[in-house]
Amino acid sequence: MLTQEENNISVVLNEKRIFIINNNISKTDLIASLVNAACDEQPSIDKEEILSVVLKREQGISTTLDTGLSIPHARIDDLNSFEAAAAVLPRAITDEYGLQIKVMFFFLSPSGSVFFPQHLRLLAMLAKKFSVSFINELVLCADKKEIVRKILF
Amino acid sequence: MSDESSVRQPSNAFRVKGITVLTTAMLTFIPFWKAAAIVLCDFGSSAFYTGGIAMLAFGSAFPWYVLGIMLLSGPLLMMYIEACSLFTRGGIFPVVNAGLGETMAKAATASVLFDFMLTGPISGISAGQYIVGFVNSLFEFFNINFALPNNIVAVIFALAITLYFWWQNIKGIEDSSDKSSKIIQFSIAACLILFIFAIITLIQRGNIELPPLKPQFSKASLGFAENMSFMTKIGYIGVLMAFGHSVLALSGLETLVQVYREIEYPKIKNLQIAALIIFIFAFVFTGGLTFLSSLIIPADLIATKYSENLLSGLAMHVNAPHIIKLVLQAIVVIAGILMLSGAVNTSIIGANGIVNRMAETGILTDWFRKIHKKYGTTYHIINTVCIAQIIVIIASRGDISLIGQAYAFGVLWSFVFEVLSIVVLRFKNREQKREFMMPFNIKYRHYYIPVGGFLVVVIVVLLAMINLITKKTATISGLSFAAVLFIIFHISQRLNAKKANDIFEEGHREKLNRTNVDNLAAALSGLTGESRVLIAVRNPDNLYHFETVLKNLSDERTDVIVMYAKPIDNWSVGKTAGVKAIDDSELFSNVILIAENYGHHVYPIMVNSNDPFYAISQVAMEAKAKEIVMGVSASYGANDQLERIVMAWNVLQNGKEQNPIVAKILWEGREVSYKF
Repeated sequence: MLTQEENNISVVLNEKRIFIINNNISKTDLIASLVNAACDEQPSIDKEEILSVVLKREQGISTTLDTGLSIPHARIDDLNSFEAAAAVLPRAITDEYGLQIKVMFFFLSPSGSVFFPQHLRLLAMLAKKFSVSFINELVLCADKKEIVRKILF
Repeated sequence: MSDESSVRQPSNAFRVKGITVLTTAMLTFIPFWKAAAIVLCDFGSSAFYTGGIAMLAFGSAFPWYVLGIMLLSGPLLMMYIEACSLFTRGGIFPVVNAGLGETMAKAATASVLFDFMLTGPISGISAGQYIVGFVNSLFEFFNINFALPNNIVAVIFALAITLYFWWQNIKGIEDSSDKSSKIIQFSIAACLILFIFAIITLIQRGNIELPPLKPQFSKASLGFAENMSFMTKIGYIGVLMAFGHSVLALSGLETLVQVYREIEYPKIKNLQIAALIIFIFAFVFTGGLTFLSSLIIPADLIATKYSENLLSGLAMHVNAPHIIKLVLQAIVVIAGILMLSGAVNTSIIGANGIVNRMAETGILTDWFRKIHKKYGTTYHIINTVCIAQIIVIIASRGDISLIGQAYAFGVLWSFVFEVLSIVVLRFKNREQKREFMMPFNIKYRHYYIPVGGFLVVVIVVLLAMINLITKKTATISGLSFAAVLFIIFHISQRLNAKKANDIFEEGHREKLNRTNVDNLAAALSGLTGESRVLIAVRNPDNLYHFETVLKNLSDERTDVIVMYAKPIDNWSVGKTAGVKAIDDSELFSNVILIAENYGHHVYPIMVNSNDPFYAISQVAMEAKAKEIVMGVSASYGANDQLERIVMAWNVLQNGKEQNPIVAKILWEGREVSYKF
């Protein structure tokens, strides 16, 4: 699976689940869209429940980083693999703590304790990879989805 | 979409806004040899006057009994080590309070204060007597037909030295352990030189006649027993009486408990080594030199010329040219002045500390705790102690044996209360962990029955009882003084009942110096260790992780940074939800209490931030820490905390590779960690 050295998000992110959102959208709606996309191959998962878990967690401790990357996530019992979806927001949105979100990377990970180190490595990799300059580059190329994919992968 | 102009995107540096470095003398710890030196400056100083006073009380048998009393210091030191293993901030009041209750604790404190009220005067006068003895020896050497009046000069010197240390204490100049070490080093050298000369003298003289074992009591030394002739006839009682007259040699032992708080890691092991050094030094210095004096100085001269400066007498009666003897006497006098003056200072510091400790519990009114406007010291206590000492000095008119008679009361009764409490605590607080126990115990069910402790209690109680009868001056003055103090404590406590309750409710608060610095580099500039651990703290009642780190820290080259990320109310951008600022003085007071329990120095800092995880990461990066340790948060849970720290750390790397670091969350019996 994901190793510490690995810096390639293609391991968890399917390119079909990358979105460029140009219209106004709230953080909650954005998360809901990404939950739907991430769970599209997991029919047994209750998307409503996942959304409520993720939103509740966001209220307690925000996952928006200073760089403009937001990483809402959850650890799910009935999951055997990592599932992710991402959105690039050329028109940044502001979260409830006053921070700008320019890229949102949503992911679900299996809740088993053996997966927790991988879960942390994924968070570490995302936080490290999505620097301010990297995000700005993504936003600048947001009108060309292919380039966004190339940058991401 | 949001209006970008109204939204601030915090930069990395933006997450830390204002850094406060907290310092306190309470976090300075000393090695065992410095602790031993501090105790010996007080305890060892009695060598200069004990022999002479004992000689006047029961004649030529005195060296045996002084030696015997010095042997008793061994078990007493062990009892004190056990007390220290129970109370880091010990002293007579907390120990007796826990063991025998508050009433007894007040009585015990009164007896220790009586001891301190007399330690200063007896030490100051004794130092003066040694100076007079030396100056008169010089007059003799130069054939000047003049002699300084012993007692008058001694009183003037004692007053001068008391006033000097009164002013030093008012100004709040801390007693330096370095100074004590130098004094003790010099005294060891003086002792060795004197020993060598004394041994050579004994070899040259041959035919050594040992002093008699049987004490011959003077009328004054019988006290109330003057009319109880059976007491001196029963051998064992006579022996006890003689020991009772020598017990003032044990004055200053209480300093060991006072100094324990300052001893560095591993505290109890270091205390044991310090106690062994104290025992050996006191046995050789006080016991050995007193014994040699009795073998070398003619008995009639001890009783007349050298009763108040015995060790000068030893220096002047060794086999050597006169000029060498004068040099030896000068060395003895310098060592005496240094140690005895140190004891004057220790008595003021000790009394001030004990009264302060009582005042902190609310037993004493605010009048006692009134702080000096300029120097910040508790000047009412210092003034009261020094005025009492000055009255004693003047009232004694320089008669050292008079003070010596009274002195033993405080010394002995403080031992009685303390050792009895330690024995009682074996049963009362049997579950409390003791890193050291007084030897000779019998295990019965869940108890360790302190046979050795019982024996010590029996010895000190017998000595105290016999002294009540034989030491008239001590009994009358000691009981009167203790009764007056006890009444003051009692009335003060009643007047201060509400305040005491408030103090109890509020809990302990440490005085901390707060220095604001501009950047993290400046805040961490004091770090000198080869590696660093950053411990994040927030909840004053959840410091398990901090304690665990200190407990397992055996490497003295590791700096421990204790950091509180204080949330700022009016700084909303990026603020972590639901995090409120706490009472940082309570938090750091608890941190200091734990640090001193383990004797590890820590670096407390406080950073204002709107995100504790960014702040922790930033400080850890700046400090090049190898570990970040956090306690589990009741609001987030360990996994969420680890996630946040992982994210913050990686964002802050900003393309620069950092040293490997481990983040740990610790709570009762559990740990989660992640290595970056």
